[in-house]
Amino acid sequence: MTVELLSANHGAALAATLAARANRKGRGFCSGVYPITPSTECMEYLCQQTIEKGRVIRVESEHSAMGVCIGTAAAGARTFTATSSNGLAYMFENCIAAASLRLPVVLAVANRTMGPPWNIWADHSDALTLRDHGLIQFYCADNQELFDTVLCAFRLAEDRRVLMPVMVNMEGFILSHTVAQTDIPHQAQVDDFLPLTDIPHRLDDVPHTLGQIEVPHQTEMHRWQHHNAMLDVLQIYAEIQKEFEAAFGRRLPDAVVAYRAEDAETLIVSMGTIGSTAERVVDKLRAEGQRVGALRVRLFRPLPTEAIRAHFVGKKHIAAIDRNIGIGLGGVLWSETRCLADPATVMQDYLAGLGGGDVRPEHLVKMLADLVPRRSAGAPAIMEAV
Amino acid sequence: MEYKCPADSLASASTIPLPAGLTLPLEVRVHGRGGQGGVTCAKLIAALFTEMGLHVQTFGDYGSERSGAPVQAYTRVDRSAISNRNKVYRPNHLIVLDEGLMGAQVMDGAAAGSQVLLNSRASLESYAVRFEHYRFGVIDATAIAREQGIGSSSVVIINTTILGAYARLLGLPLSVLERAYASLGLAGDLPAAQQAYEQVHVSEPVHGDFAPAAPAASPSPLAVRSLIAHNEDIPASLKTGSWSNQVPIYSEHSAPCNLACPAGNDIVGFIQALKNEGADKAAAILLRTQPLPSVCGRVCPAPCMQGCNRATFDGAVNIRSLERWIGDHSHTALAPQSAAQRKRVAVVGGGPAGLSAAYQLALHGHAATIVEAGPALGGVLRNGIPEFRLPHEALQRDIERIVTLGVEVRCNSRVDKVDMKRLQLEFDAVIVCVGFGPAHTLGAKGETLDGVEQGLDFLDRMKRKRVVLHGHVVVVGGGNTAVDCARTALRCGAASVKIVYRRGREDMPAITDEIEDAEREGAQILPHRQPVEFTGAGMVSAIVVAEVGAGTPDASGRRRPVVTQNTSTMVCDKVLLALGQKSELDLLPDGWTMRDGRAWHGDRTLPVWFAGDCATGDGTVTHAIGNGRRTALAVLNGDVLPDEAPAKRVAPGQIRFSHFDVTPPHKDDQTARPALTFDEVNLGLASAEEAARCFSCGHCTKCDTCLICCPDGVIFRTADGYRVDGEYCKGCGMCVAECPCSAMEMQEKNGVAA
Repeated sequence: MTVELLSANHGAALAATLAARANRKGRGFCSGVYPITPSTECMEYLCQQTIEKGRVIRVESEHSAMGVCIGTAAAGARTFTATSSNGLAYMFENCIAAASLRLPVVLAVANRTMGPPWNIWADHSDALTLRDHGLIQFYCADNQELFDTVLCAFRLAEDRRVLMPVMVNMEGFILSHTVAQTDIPHQAQVDDFLPLTDIPHRLDDVPHTLGQIEVPHQTEMHRWQHHNAMLDVLQIYAEIQKEFEAAFGRRLPDAVVAYRAEDAETLIVSMGTIGSTAERVVDKLRAEGQRVGALRVRLFRPLPTEAIRAHFVGKKHIAAIDRNIGIGLGGVLWSETRCLADPATVMQDYLAGLGGGDVRPEHLVKMLADLVPRRSAGAPAIMEAV
Repeated sequence: MEYKCPADSLASASTIPLPAGLTLPLEVRVHGRGGQGGVTCAKLIAALFTEMGLHVQTFGDYGSERSGAPVQAYTRVDRSAISNRNKVYRPNHLIVLDEGLMGAQVMDGAAAGSQVLLNSRASLESYAVRFEHYRFGVIDATAIAREQGIGSSSVVIINTTILGAYARLLGLPLSVLERAYASLGLAGDLPAAQQAYEQVHVSEPVHGDFAPAAPAASPSPLAVRSLIAHNEDIPASLKTGSWSNQVPIYSEHSAPCNLACPAGNDIVGFIQALKNEGADKAAAILLRTQPLPSVCGRVCPAPCMQGCNRATFDGAVNIRSLERWIGDHSHTALAPQSAAQRKRVAVVGGGPAGLSAAYQLALHGHAATIVEAGPALGGVLRNGIPEFRLPHEALQRDIERIVTLGVEVRCNSRVDKVDMKRLQLEFDAVIVCVGFGPAHTLGAKGETLDGVEQGLDFLDRMKRKRVVLHGHVVVVGGGNTAVDCARTALRCGAASVKIVYRRGREDMPAITDEIEDAEREGAQILPHRQPVEFTGAGMVSAIVVAEVGAGTPDASGRRRPVVTQNTSTMVCDKVLLALGQKSELDLLPDGWTMRDGRAWHGDRTLPVWFAGDCATGDGTVTHAIGNGRRTALAVLNGDVLPDEAPAKRVAPGQIRFSHFDVTPPHKDDQTARPALTFDEVNLGLASAEEAARCFSCGHCTKCDTCLICCPDGVIFRTADGYRVDGEYCKGCGMCVAECPCSAMEMQEKNGVAA
């Protein structure tokens, strides 16, 4: 292994490159790319790599970028692309196609607020729009985790029990542009970890139309199969974690990352880099004698409901921090997980860091100061990050 | 930036020892302006600490702002992996790349004893008192980086330089800096870093009561108005013009064609006018300097086209034929001005220089009288250049435009020494434009035989009355007269025409197109040959030519011809000599001399001036026109006008080729080439569309590119161009970078061109 100073964007591209080369003895690699801030650096880096038996195709739109991935994945290649924000929105239709056609495309998303009005900074509103369409979703908190998760994503997506796209999310700039030391495995290690891409429904020599019209019952069953395959990911991910550790000597973080949560009375639940900040706040408040813990939901689709429920058990207060807003209801993480808390638990939603605000420890302390005296939950509250 | 280090270096085996007194975790904040390289500076700092085996994290505070906006970048350093995902609010080290940023915003959160490194021309003392509670370093990194040539011609990049000063501030030995730069791949910038390392001045902090800087302004943000009110919101509230240290200005630069034109024509001006407003408006510009557009549009060697910036793109603009188009298709003449004190000036000689001088005098409201030896005006244009190149009507049209201005013409009046004195007394001034003296002869044996004739005499004779030639003609020489003689001889019925020239074909001074036309018409060129003898009984019947070798180069770089003993004999019936003309003046009265274009009697100047070939020997119509005009203006001014310093020349690299479609030049119409008659060979352009190919180098065409490219929308149209709103212009330079024709430039705010 070597240690490189890399931005997370470059890390994602480098992981994709290693995965691409690992398929050189198989059916190769293909990537359709189109730039958009803040994910542009990822595709730029990828374009500069020399990939034996692989092509990176610069297309005219995100829609086509995913189109390239769909076509080449269907032909049996390993595939990857990257985008952000409105680029993801433009890719949306083909993302659903890739998912519904059960193609193992890996998609790195540098999360960025949806415009207009235009805002280039991070929130999760872009990726969450694809919540319900059969793409696995990871949310990462540091450079190494992002790199490792992209490598793992290929393994997961191409597993014959899974066969669906994997989105690996990193908050734009906060993670995508942050440079830090990253452990990079040797190609041989990656070769061992990633089997050659071999999907059962690969297009062969006979021309074939993908996704023809279905009657209701077919669709009903295809959705149900997709759903069940998605649920199986929780178990399959745990298997891959073990193999990853065996291959690279370090552990992939769990689907749900708990921090000093076991004996906590108050729990902060969040996604992405706010999870790191929450852990710092936990240390600070623990030092002051408060029984606080943190829970970071790393795998959002499939949602590890049982793991989350287990960590929620017995908590007096839970603060859900959402770097997103489901307009008309509240934070998405809160709305998805509040049913997993005990009826007696006061679970309050705080919207923070929308549009890319810097969510600092003092903001979280302020939230807890608001939460702990509460005897019942209120409507989702906004915490302005200023 | 990619930087590799072995994995185990993180643990202990670092290449660089930790500086004494470095406390961890460390937070560094870099303040700069967009475009200065602040983010890379923070990355370099991170890389430096990586060399010490430490964990680092570095990132920029990215915004939608562009060049010139205040920006920040951060680096964190620790012994273990860094989980802090926030910006740096309590910096231990502050690096400030632009001293204009120094203030509460920059110092915000920096506690007493923090280290500050400032890029500034100012002395350490000027900051020491104000920042006495900080460890404060000052370095003029900009000067060092500029001297070392780091960055582009317009933007100096200082991050690698200031890193040297930072290493000194950290207390790293110089040898460490050398190693670090080598491993970072920055060895080329090491001298600048070393210089900064040696020159940085540092003051130690004063310990004692510390009143922290007033907290940065604007802790409470403005209330955010409804999105529905956004159309009247935000943009006006932030005066981003204060971010810029340079601003775009519209400034004319010199097009290479304009600089190359011997007549001083505003080529870009008349072509743009032709394109936008038609031939009459174009003529109004062209006629300011050019009295003979129909002539020059046919016979000028067009040095403008050799200089054209379009030449390397898809072919030079066909400027000569556009000038001809204007001359032939305009129906306009300039009105003479009225002079406060009307001078009477005699112009001796009615060739191009004389016509130009008289024209300028008349235009400026003065009385010009042309005294011409021949029966009509035109000089070499009338009696030298053949009809198939310059039709009589074209010449006549140009001359009539001049005469119509009120120029008095006295033809058939040859001026001798006595007349010169008389003219000097009769007129306020005299301008002598009599052209070259008599033609050169070869000095070869048999040159006086019948059938050996001066080419100029032959051309003149043929223009007056054409005769039929028989047999074989040999023309001696390589200039335009030689080529004209050859082509005329072919038209008069010569069985064959050979051009004998002592140098190579590529050395022939004649216009290339004309040489090619002559060959196409049947003339044969025999280069590297010189006649040494003409033979015949009364009438020339043969010519002995010697081969000519190439000797050492002369002052012009051409190799001197060396006549060898290898000779051969050619049968011929006629020889035309076109060897150039002598610079001889036979009309200067005794006691007069010519110096600096003026006549002198002893050390006293006389009101007698010289213009054109008799003064300069330049030898082209266009040079004569330019010199005639400048001499006329000198006469009116009493002395030679100093040349205006031309604006900066626009080089091809300053043209944004991507804004232009590849369009090959419109060629002259030569398809109807007559079979060796005296009708005009070249029919010129079929339309004025060629004008649209002009890049308009250095001159704004109001194409709106600047306005469209401005990312902030702060460029506005005005009645005569554009206005940049300085209150909001961030000085990003995008308008200047995108200007297709280099009609803009960046100017530092203190007025210096960037």
